[in-house]
Amino acid sequence: MPAFRSIRTRRRKKILNKGFELQLTSLIDVFVIILVFLLKSYQTSLNTLTTTQGLQMPISASQDEPRDSLQVIITPEGITFEGKRVSDFIQDGNSAGATEGTYKLNDTDIDEGGRRIVSLFNTLVAAREKSELLKAKSPYRDDKGNPLPFDGVLAVTADKRIHYDTLRKIMYTAGAAGFKTFRFIALKKET
Amino acid sequence: MLRRPSARRKVGTEQIALNLVPMMDTFVTLIAFLLYTMAFIVMTHVETPLPTASPTEVAEKLKEKPLQLTVSFRKDETEIWSPFKKIEAKKIPNTPEGTPDVAAIHARLVEVKQQFPNEKQVVLAPNGSISYDSLIASMDGIRMLDATDPIITVKSDTGVDQALKLLFPEVVFGNILSND
Repeated sequence: MPAFRSIRTRRRKKILNKGFELQLTSLIDVFVIILVFLLKSYQTSLNTLTTTQGLQMPISASQDEPRDSLQVIITPEGITFEGKRVSDFIQDGNSAGATEGTYKLNDTDIDEGGRRIVSLFNTLVAAREKSELLKAKSPYRDDKGNPLPFDGVLAVTADKRIHYDTLRKIMYTAGAAGFKTFRFIALKKET
Repeated sequence: MLRRPSARRKVGTEQIALNLVPMMDTFVTLIAFLLYTMAFIVMTHVETPLPTASPTEVAEKLKEKPLQLTVSFRKDETEIWSPFKKIEAKKIPNTPEGTPDVAAIHARLVEVKQQFPNEKQVVLAPNGSISYDSLIASMDGIRMLDATDPIITVKSDTGVDQALKLLFPEVVFGNILSND
C-alpha cells in the first residue's frame, strides 16, 4: 500500500507542476452576449439636458431629439435654471414633505399683474446677455460679417403635475427676457 | 519525409491553447465604454414658438380671414373652433377622469385636416388649471398622425401627391399674455 500511494502522489505532483490555464471560453461567451445586447440597444444622447430626483416627467410620442440649449427645470419645490435654484414655491402644511407642491409663488416674487417671475426674469436676461457676448466674441459670423444672433431657445423640463398657470408664467417671463422658442422636454414613448 | 512509428505517434497530439486574454481585454473595455456612454433615459421634445403679432400682421389676417384653428381647453370640455368661422365649432366633453378627450380631439382634427390639408398651425388656449401631463398628451394628439388615421395627401412642388406624416405640427400658445 505505501508503494502504491507514493506513485499516486508523484503523479499528482506532476499534474500540479504543469502550467495552470484558465478556461476563458465560457466567460468570452457571456461577454459576447452582453456586447451584442448593448450594441443592439445602444443609444447615445446629443444633449446635456438633466433631470432631478423626484421629477415626474410627462411622456410624449414625439420623435424629435432635443438639442443642447439653456434649461429651466420646474419641480414641486421650485424653479431651477441651469442647475441653480432661482425661485422657491410656497410650501404649505399639506405640501411640506409631500411629493406634490403648491406651485404658488410669493407675491413679492411676481410682478406685471402676476405674470412675470422677477428672479427668473433677471436670471434669464443675464443668461441672454452672456450668450450674446460670447457670440460677439466668437469667430463665427453670418453672411454680412455680423455676430450670430441669440437663438433664444429655452428647454423647459417640468413635473407632469404642474398646471398650465405656472407654465404660462414661465413662458411669459422667458418671452419678456428675449427667449422666443420653448422646448417642452418629455420622456419618449416606447413604440 | 517518413518518420519512425514512435515519432509519428506524437505528431498532432499537443493541443493548441488559444490566447484569449487580449480578446477579453477588448471586450471589457468595449462593455465599459458602451455602458458609460449609453443614454438610459430617452428624451424628446415638443417645440413651440412664442406668439408674436404686429399690428400690420393682425390687419392682414383680418383681411385674409385664415382658418386659425384654435383648440380651447376649458374646465369641463375642449372646443375646436375657428375665429373666422371657417369650420363648425365642436365642443368635446372631458373624460370621466377630468382630462381632455385626446382621441375625440384627434378625430375631429383629422376631419379638419382633410378639409384644409395645407394648414399646419394650431393655436392652443388652455385653461390655467390643466395639468402639464394632459397638455403634452393633447399636443401629441394635435401634432401627430396615427397609423390608423386615413391617409391625407398634399400636392408637392412637383405636383406629386405626398402623404402627410404630421397633423398640425406647429403648436402656438395663444393666451400667454392673458391672465385668466
